[in-house]
Amino acid sequence: MAIPNGLKTTLITLTWFPVLYSFTNHVYQPYQISGSSMTPTFNPGTSTTSKDIVLVQKYNLKSANSLHRGDIVMFRSPSNPEKILTKRIIATQGEVVRTKSPPYPKQQVTVPRNHVWVEGDNSFHSIDSNNFGPVSQGLVVGKVVFVIWPLSRFGYDGSSSSTNTSSGGLGSTNSVVNNEMNDATSIQVKRIDEF
Amino acid sequence: MPVPESLKFIASTLSWTLRAGCVAHLIHEFVYEFTETRGESMLPTLQRNHDYVHALKTHRLGRGLEMGDCIVAVKPSDPEHRVCKRITGMPGDIILIDPSSSSELTNTPNEIIQHDGFNKYITVPEGHVWCTGDNLCHSLDSRSYSVLPMGLITGKIVAANSMDKGFFTNFWGFRWITNSFN
Repeated sequence: MAIPNGLKTTLITLTWFPVLYSFTNHVYQPYQISGSSMTPTFNPGTSTTSKDIVLVQKYNLKSANSLHRGDIVMFRSPSNPEKILTKRIIATQGEVVRTKSPPYPKQQVTVPRNHVWVEGDNSFHSIDSNNFGPVSQGLVVGKVVFVIWPLSRFGYDGSSSSTNTSSGGLGSTNSVVNNEMNDATSIQVKRIDEF
Repeated sequence: MPVPESLKFIASTLSWTLRAGCVAHLIHEFVYEFTETRGESMLPTLQRNHDYVHALKTHRLGRGLEMGDCIVAVKPSDPEHRVCKRITGMPGDIILIDPSSSSELTNTPNEIIQHDGFNKYITVPEGHVWCTGDNLCHSLDSRSYSVLPMGLITGKIVAANSMDKGFFTNFWGFRWITNSFN
């Protein structure tokens, strides 16, 4: 039986879709960021209101040493598993955080084992760990490595642990993250200075 | 320069292996998984050793799950491990956390007052479940790590096999795992 050439090409192309899908699930995937909770790092809304597109790393997220303070992560919202949130890690396991209270019931909290404390860079418009508490590392689906779109801010996220330079293109928040900070109090003070 | 026939053959074999492997992986992740379980936390539903479970991955992220369903989930305190538990509380339910912490059998009178196990309640928040092992005495579950976010659920267990039983003992001890609340 003869299969038309066009149909054959289509079928062969289709067999590559699982490979592509596995790649975006476990290696790298571009994401569009919506919302203003990570302003000014993402969606600064200054020159244009278009949404940023970022590249997200999908591997090496589950082990204890893979996430660091200052990394921007994407994770499934604890209160709605179908929703994915983007926030910055403020503290990792074992560290003590001074919370924003209210809404958080306690003034100070120690982050449990294999959990992270996450907050939005724009803390006035952010639903984050101050609302739902520390997030299990199992909910983390990816780590943002760099901005793809718009091209004017294209580049590596300077705060990411892999590059760890202060010359990144992601604006003022770098100054917070790249400072060597030894306790949670100084994080809080620094963050307030930003405004 | 013509490519040798043998090289072409190797390249095509590798590429088809990759594609087939990815299909298998996606089925494993989103549709169905057959996997080994260990540990005594689900006795008598699942044995301590030699048990394999059939998990439906379409129920991942807590989709369509009910009270009493057996689930596979990522352990909140260690994402590299998975646990198998039963859902014993849905969002909005009020749970008595652990009355056994004030049991007269295992605690001194002082501890009974200190733990106050009969008065400690929790309301399960939106998007979370309360889950416990069937063997409450030997189970590390919501009583220690509190509510489990539905985002950590990877599937629902629908059946199990015991591989230490022979093929002729009901297909390696096949049995359905049912909802214990209905």
